[in-house]
Amino acid sequence: MKKKLVSVLLVSAMAASMLVGCGGDAGSSNNGTQAAGSGNEGGSAEAGSGSVYLLNFKPETDGAWQTLAQTYTEQTGVEVNVVTAADGQYKTTLQAELAKDEAPTIYNIGNAADCAEYADYIYDLKDSAIYEHLTDKSLAVEYEGKVAAVANCYECYGIIYNKSILEQYCTVDGAVISSVDEINNLDTLNAVATDINNRVDEINAALGTNLTEAFASAGLDSGSNWRFSGHLAGIALYYEFKDAGCDLVAGQGTVTGKYLDNFKKVWDMYVGTSAADPATLDSGAYSAQQEIGLGEAVFYQNGDWEYSAFAPGNENGYTVTTDDLSMMPIYFGVDDATEGLAVGTENHWAVNAKASQEDIDATLAFLEWVITSDEGRASITNEMGLTAPFDTFTGDYASNNGFAAMANEYAAQGKTSVAWSFNATPAVDDWRADFIAPLTEYTERGGSWDDVVTAFVDQWAYYWDQQNNQ
Amino acid sequence: MEKAIKKYFPLFALPTMIAFTIGFIVPFLYGIFLSFCKFTTVVDWKWVGIENYTKIFFVDGKLDTSFLHSIWYTALFTVVSVLVINVVSFIIAMALTKGIKGTNLFRTVFFLPNLIGGIVLSYVWLMIFNAVLQNFSKTIVSSQWSAFWGLVIVVCWQQIGYMMIIYIAGIQNIPGELIEAAKIDGANAWQLLKSVTLPMLMPTITICSFLTLTNGFKLFDQNLALTGGNPGKMSQLLALNIYDTMYGTTGWQGIGQAKAVIFFILVAIIAVAQNKLTTRKEVQG
Repeated sequence: MKKKLVSVLLVSAMAASMLVGCGGDAGSSNNGTQAAGSGNEGGSAEAGSGSVYLLNFKPETDGAWQTLAQTYTEQTGVEVNVVTAADGQYKTTLQAELAKDEAPTIYNIGNAADCAEYADYIYDLKDSAIYEHLTDKSLAVEYEGKVAAVANCYECYGIIYNKSILEQYCTVDGAVISSVDEINNLDTLNAVATDINNRVDEINAALGTNLTEAFASAGLDSGSNWRFSGHLAGIALYYEFKDAGCDLVAGQGTVTGKYLDNFKKVWDMYVGTSAADPATLDSGAYSAQQEIGLGEAVFYQNGDWEYSAFAPGNENGYTVTTDDLSMMPIYFGVDDATEGLAVGTENHWAVNAKASQEDIDATLAFLEWVITSDEGRASITNEMGLTAPFDTFTGDYASNNGFAAMANEYAAQGKTSVAWSFNATPAVDDWRADFIAPLTEYTERGGSWDDVVTAFVDQWAYYWDQQNNQ
Repeated sequence: MEKAIKKYFPLFALPTMIAFTIGFIVPFLYGIFLSFCKFTTVVDWKWVGIENYTKIFFVDGKLDTSFLHSIWYTALFTVVSVLVINVVSFIIAMALTKGIKGTNLFRTVFFLPNLIGGIVLSYVWLMIFNAVLQNFSKTIVSSQWSAFWGLVIVVCWQQIGYMMIIYIAGIQNIPGELIEAAKIDGANAWQLLKSVTLPMLMPTITICSFLTLTNGFKLFDQNLALTGGNPGKMSQLLALNIYDTMYGTTGWQGIGQAKAVIFFILVAIIAVAQNKLTTRKEVQG
């Protein structure tokens, strides 16, 4: 009797575990639809229209997208799922999701190399509304004669600096400059940064600031090293591509590292005028954003996506606000007189060609709605804080990002915006890792600079070759 | 009753077998198949034969040592961690079965690290390591050896408590009369340990060494969070190397998959060999 009871218990436990398994399955497939709300599922099926599934690239915009999706579903009955991949997990998530029956209909393409990888999933956006409204057609990624992906925002990067402190600095005895405008080339920037860093106590005493350094720490940990392997190296690539006369964003198969001496100059300035111990830059213990936010540093190389961290209503507890900050180009010692901010994007919408035609139609309609409707435009500009490259974003919907405005200001002064040449990087993650390793050796343990150059040049050719000969 | 169990065995086993097939056998076979394909997503493959396997070691006719490096680095890591974990947890288990005051408290405390997930644990340790090493102008990823010992420390800290519990259970299972008899025969503490405790503990040692061995080979979370494979890719253990190939290198999913198959074969061979080796030494109690 007792044995029977045990077996009954075991069987029911087994059955229960099976049920739990199935339940979990159903749950996970429902995860995606959380935004749309299950109540609308029936409605959309009746309407006979397809559904939309956006695999979002920017974690910080997830909330805004969920709300936007809900609004769209309420208005049209079309089901819109928004799933956001975790930071740094986009590729992993995308590969898994694309393999499913209900695959994403909109996904992110970063550059031409991505196109090669997802070639089978690329829908030609030539006739789409988003391409039509795109102000600068060079912001679309073209691949094998198709308009593979359309930029949904553009961003700029440069050196964020604390204008207020710098203006005060000009009044200090022995200051290298008498006006902030004098910083318009690498040498002056270097002289100012060195002077501030050397006389930090004196300046603090004179101005009542709490500076510890000129440049915020140049962290070599994975959370920060892309600023250099990507963005800073991008300037060196830009000048090289410009000389070679190739496409500035698509790049070419070989690089020579022609401008790496300039890179070295800038890099040495970052490291040499910072309070961070150069030997521990890869520890991950530094927060450059915090250093600038608390007024400990004056300069910080990063992009306009940092704007919201200092904007009113942020919860970072920073003493420095957007009013204090501005952005200048990363002067590289090549063509400083005409160099503007680096403007480009890694965010392009691509539409999944393998989705059903209904879903594709629904997707294109949704994207059009996003960039033309009041709700969509308001959400992109105000809630997501993006600068959209579409002609529909005018008036109230023009970007209010102060750093992005600086990009236009430099352009208006006749300076040339630097293209995002690092978008050409083959096997991005690998190449960057291979470049950061000798850079870390050089910075932290007195390794040879030649190794950095070798990695830059050889690995580029190596990965380019691999990527294009498969 | 016996008959009934035999008769209904397939029925009872069915749900588990179905789950096992769906959750393990199918993906496993599919994975082996994919290792001979070039693919971006798992439903979209193109047969390429053994090209993936050759590419692990030879790229463009040049020897690529990164996978070999992580094989021996992993092997070394496993040897060190298996030894340290088993020896230390055995010593602690011996100490905590002697009936000293606060035994339960100690057991709980030693076991606690095991309840923290690998990623969180490693981030906490990362802060500790770097805070200490900062004084010497070093970080945990200053060289592949500092990364190595960092990993060993974290993994030991995490697993010693768990193995200790298994050892304690084993030690408590040794019949008191055996020890008493040995004592009456005049065995000293060392002889008692060598000739009674250890032989009686062989099944436990089998389990513990098996667990630590496979854990060592499969280590991923801690590797990812603590060193991320830095400096360069020098501290990549096998699992992280495979992950990096799969997701970090454009168009290399198939090669990552091929590495994973080799990885499986390697772990399987070693685990079976280890099991055979230690099981042979087990005595019937």
